[in-house]
Amino acid sequence: MKVEAGGMALVDKYCQDYGSRARELKGQGRKIIGGLCAYVPVEIITAAGFVPFRIKGSVSEPITRADVEMETIVCPLVRSCFDLAVKGRYEFLDGLVIPHACDSICRTYDVWKYTLGLPYSHFINMPHSDNDTSLEFYKTVLNTFRKSLGKFAGREISDDSLLQAIKQHNENRARVRQLAGLRRSDPPLISGEELARALIAIMSIPVEESISLLGDVIAEVKPRASATGVEKPRIMVVGAQLDDDTFIRLIEDSGAWVVADDLCPGTREFWPDADITADPIDGLAERYLQKIKCARTYREQKGTYPEYLEERFGHIGGFIRDFAVDGVILYIYKYCDPFGFEVPAVKSYIESLGTPVLYLEDEYSKSTIGRLRTRVQAFLELLGAK
Amino acid sequence: MTEEKKPEERKKRRTATEAAGRVGSMTKAMLANVPQAKGEGRPIAYSFICCCYDEIIRAMDITPHWVENYAGICGAKRDAQRFLERAEAENLSRSLCTYALCGLGFDAWREELGGEMPPDAPWGGQVKPDVMLGSGQMLCDPRNKWFQAAQHYMPDVPTYDLNLPWPPYEEDYDYREVQDDYVKYMVAQLRGLVEFLERHTNRKMDWDRLSELVDLTDRTWNLVHEAYELRRAVPTPMGTGDAMNTMVPLSFMMGTQQGYDFFKELYDELQQKIARKEGVIPDEKYRLLWGGGLPSWFALTDFNYFNSKGAVFPAETTYRMVEALYNFDIDFARITDPLEHIAWRWLKFWTCRYDKTRQRPGSHPDVERLIDYIEDYQIDGVVMHEAFSCRSWHVGLIWQLNLLKKIYRDIPSLVLESDIIDISSYNEADTRARIDAFIDTLEAVKSRAG
Ligand code: SF4
Ligand code: SF4
Repeated sequence: MKVEAGGMALVDKYCQDYGSRARELKGQGRKIIGGLCAYVPVEIITAAGFVPFRIKGSVSEPITRADVEMETIVCPLVRSCFDLAVKGRYEFLDGLVIPHACDSICRTYDVWKYTLGLPYSHFINMPHSDNDTSLEFYKTVLNTFRKSLGKFAGREISDDSLLQAIKQHNENRARVRQLAGLRRSDPPLISGEELARALIAIMSIPVEESISLLGDVIAEVKPRASATGVEKPRIMVVGAQLDDDTFIRLIEDSGAWVVADDLCPGTREFWPDADITADPIDGLAERYLQKIKCARTYREQKGTYPEYLEERFGHIGGFIRDFAVDGVILYIYKYCDPFGFEVPAVKSYIESLGTPVLYLEDEYSKSTIGRLRTRVQAFLELLGAK
Repeated sequence: MTEEKKPEERKKRRTATEAAGRVGSMTKAMLANVPQAKGEGRPIAYSFICCCYDEIIRAMDITPHWVENYAGICGAKRDAQRFLERAEAENLSRSLCTYALCGLGFDAWREELGGEMPPDAPWGGQVKPDVMLGSGQMLCDPRNKWFQAAQHYMPDVPTYDLNLPWPPYEEDYDYREVQDDYVKYMVAQLRGLVEFLERHTNRKMDWDRLSELVDLTDRTWNLVHEAYELRRAVPTPMGTGDAMNTMVPLSFMMGTQQGYDFFKELYDELQQKIARKEGVIPDEKYRLLWGGGLPSWFALTDFNYFNSKGAVFPAETTYRMVEALYNFDIDFARITDPLEHIAWRWLKFWTCRYDKTRQRPGSHPDVERLIDYIEDYQIDGVVMHEAFSCRSWHVGLIWQLNLLKKIYRDIPSLVLESDIIDISSYNEADTRARIDAFIDTLEAVKSRAG
């Protein structure tokens, strides 16, 4: 068994120099396809023989170049990603895939495409609703992407290679679930910050390497003794994309454990698998459109309003119970329409379960995150006093 | 120095056309019709503009309440702030679409009052609807999140989310390869809407009536196009300031005889003005294109300010959501299903410049549209408005201007920054100083050109 301090050390390396592995692979002749958001169907990119790479922002780097092409009214995370890309941080990219996730992502597709001028770009015109006619349409959209990427690869993407890629990505997700599940114990075996870093690291490497890295991290973390110590509140963080560990660290430094999340990267992205279906596109379409529960997808209302809330937010309730969560922090970016409009409903849903909620709006920058500290501390005190 | 003017102190904006001058009373009557319909037991639908369901709701005798229009009215009356603040108190970020915030703030307040309108609600207020018709994958996120959020205050009101995507412009495939999939999906979505309305409003679709209204809408599209094309004349008989009034019949009365008649009258009036060589202003010095962005409804008098400097706006991209149908590469006469007709009309509208775009390396359909207008309307400069709260129309503007200059020519441009209805984002002195500087640039370019 491989137990040397390899896993977490490698995670740290990949986080510190984000993209370093992709750069190396590029040097070895691999093609790297960048993407924004959990809605990029990475299986198709892997099946084409390319490395899917998640473009990441940086809360500590001031935005200096993005504004020349992109308005400041865009989601601050997307702006930060774009700023880094324009500065050449991701110069190894061969292509770019942008899904219709939200307005900030969708409306900037052309800005990305024309500014970066990469050899390959594609927009995945994903429908917003989760009903069956939308699912059928979405399959055609995925097939358009499959065909287009196949053209760029110089060969068709076969069903077999897709199936293979789906299995690999499912295995990867199973490992994430296993690792994230180690937060169930009290105290958790892995801190929220460590998990966040592991998930960030694997956004930047090929799936086969991710599977092996996660295996190493699990082997390293699992034998940790479930130490007894001071009791700390167990926090769940709910929000959109969080590709940075600063905020999670702030919560944990304030005297809590982050034991659960509804975030990307996080449970939202890694809990649902793609089913193995006769036509591999079917399983993929269902996973992305129907199984991933993100505010960007409109869930059709079938029953009563309380049933509807359960359908939309029930998974959050599930995590609260499963991971013995004491309090939820709703962490929402400025200019984020999909998550922003849900705040009153999701807040009251969680509170109806008897779990206190702290709602914070942020701008994805170290200075604004720092300003949240007092509010987080006050919330933790309130939980401690309960 | 500027003085903050109270709503009642603001002068009414001067319109160039009589038609535009009539829009205020038409809007009032349209809004008054909603509580009246409700009183008579007719179903009310919260509705968005440009959602392709105009003919459907009209054919089913469902009365639309246009939520963006109502928010715009609150903004124009400089009375949106209290509703925005109300939404903020509900934990809705002030960075979100302020139309939506205004509407949600209003709804939350009205429901808290047990259904009574908030005090002094502008123009009679916004009544509780029977259904809410949202729209995803078209124009913006708030269009599917807003009504879902409104259900928090009105959990008994069902919503429908209509998806109407169009194929994106890409170099590696032609939109015609995928257009049938898009139309099939849109038709399924529209059919779903009809079923939803039948289920929740007890109305039956009158398919013959729908076909008639689809035809009426086609004719209205052509008429609007032809009327707006008359604005190519020098001096131009109508500017963007007026188009921000005529957007009311264009966007809220599509599929009605009243809408059609309005544009017939506008067409006639513009023709007469051209015959008399009567322009928006007598000495037209600079012809400008309103190249993107919704207007600041509380500051429409800025258009008069431009006029006072000798500048006119013969064209705008905003709200011009129609094209001449006879220019599309499709024979509508062969389509018998009215829903399919609606879907094709929509798809062809969005893709109508794709072929042309391919002919200019590095171009994009949005930029081709700017170029078309610049040439057709003899434009000297481009003005855009970046409203901070709406990403759908206001992201990509800077890039479009940059691309325009790169692939076409270096044309003077100005990007104003404010909001659609949140007046706290607006500074009149600053705005006017920027307009003045822009006019200086135009003048310098003109004199250089000789
Ligand atoms: S955080 Fe919100 S606005 Fe930003 S990318 Fe995600 S969904 Fe879009
Ligand atoms: S288009 Fe813009 S202003 Fe209109 S509802 Fe959408 S976000 Fe709001």
